[in-house]
Amino acid sequence: MRIFNRIVVILLLAGLFVLGVFVFLASIGPFLNALGAQGTDLQNLPSSLRPDGLTAGLRNYLTNTENGNVGVLDAVVLIAVALVGLILLVLELKPPTPRRVRMRQGTYLTQSAVRDEATKATEQKHEVLQSNVKVKAKRRPGAKINVTASVRAGEDTQVLQSEVRDRVQQHLDRMGIPISNLKVQIVGSDPRETKTRVK
Amino acid sequence: MADDLQLARAASEAALATDGVYALATGRFVEIATYGAGEKVTGVVVGPDEVRVHIVVRWPLPEPIPTLAERVREKVASLGAAGRPTTVVVEDVEVVRDENL
Repeated sequence: MRIFNRIVVILLLAGLFVLGVFVFLASIGPFLNALGAQGTDLQNLPSSLRPDGLTAGLRNYLTNTENGNVGVLDAVVLIAVALVGLILLVLELKPPTPRRVRMRQGTYLTQSAVRDEATKATEQKHEVLQSNVKVKAKRRPGAKINVTASVRAGEDTQVLQSEVRDRVQQHLDRMGIPISNLKVQIVGSDPRETKTRVK
Repeated sequence: MADDLQLARAASEAALATDGVYALATGRFVEIATYGAGEKVTGVVVGPDEVRVHIVVRWPLPEPIPTLAERVREKVASLGAAGRPTTVVVEDVEVVRDENL
């Protein structure tokens, strides 16, 4: 989320830069005109973009808002802007998710190592043709693991789900890898579309 | 700087001497190392705020990974990191198939 916020800030700053350039060119316009060059004059701007036009428009808008004369569309846009700002603020203030799985104080395990071990345990089952393991490190010790195993259509998914779950749990317990949440999903797939067709 | 390199060298030796440590990790996208004049120690990062050791453990394990990592951490911390906390990161598990042959 920080990257998104950074992009928003960069765009805002770019806009400010462009405005700054316009103001600069406008400010040196009379000087350039005096030198005989074609300068930029504020008077040449369309009336809606002139500073007096802008301030008058803004003043009118604020007066209407204070008097309660806000259109439905304006109200919706203002609420949406406020909500987006609030969401961005919360996401920016939220501490980032750690990159590594915490075991104890000062000891960590990479997410890829946990993923490899969970994949290995899942694919030890003969019925599993392909697996997709997602590991997320948490702030507290332990990893959140989501396993999606592909099996042939028609297999007993209930039994397989429990077996795969037990196998992954046992393998990671044996290694001492802490788990905070383990979810296993079994999906029926066409063997022609999976990594392994036959085991 | 020379002290950092010396500490990195000692940490590397201590980690590799621990039973269950297969190797020190070198990094996948960014090299994990402490740099000195004409020399570098891979697998250990001695920074101003912490000393970090990246290890690859051997399978079968002599003990669970958290215990092994804690043992490495204690060994490295005892080397005198000048108050800097020591962190151990397990990067991978290496299966040594022919170990008992």
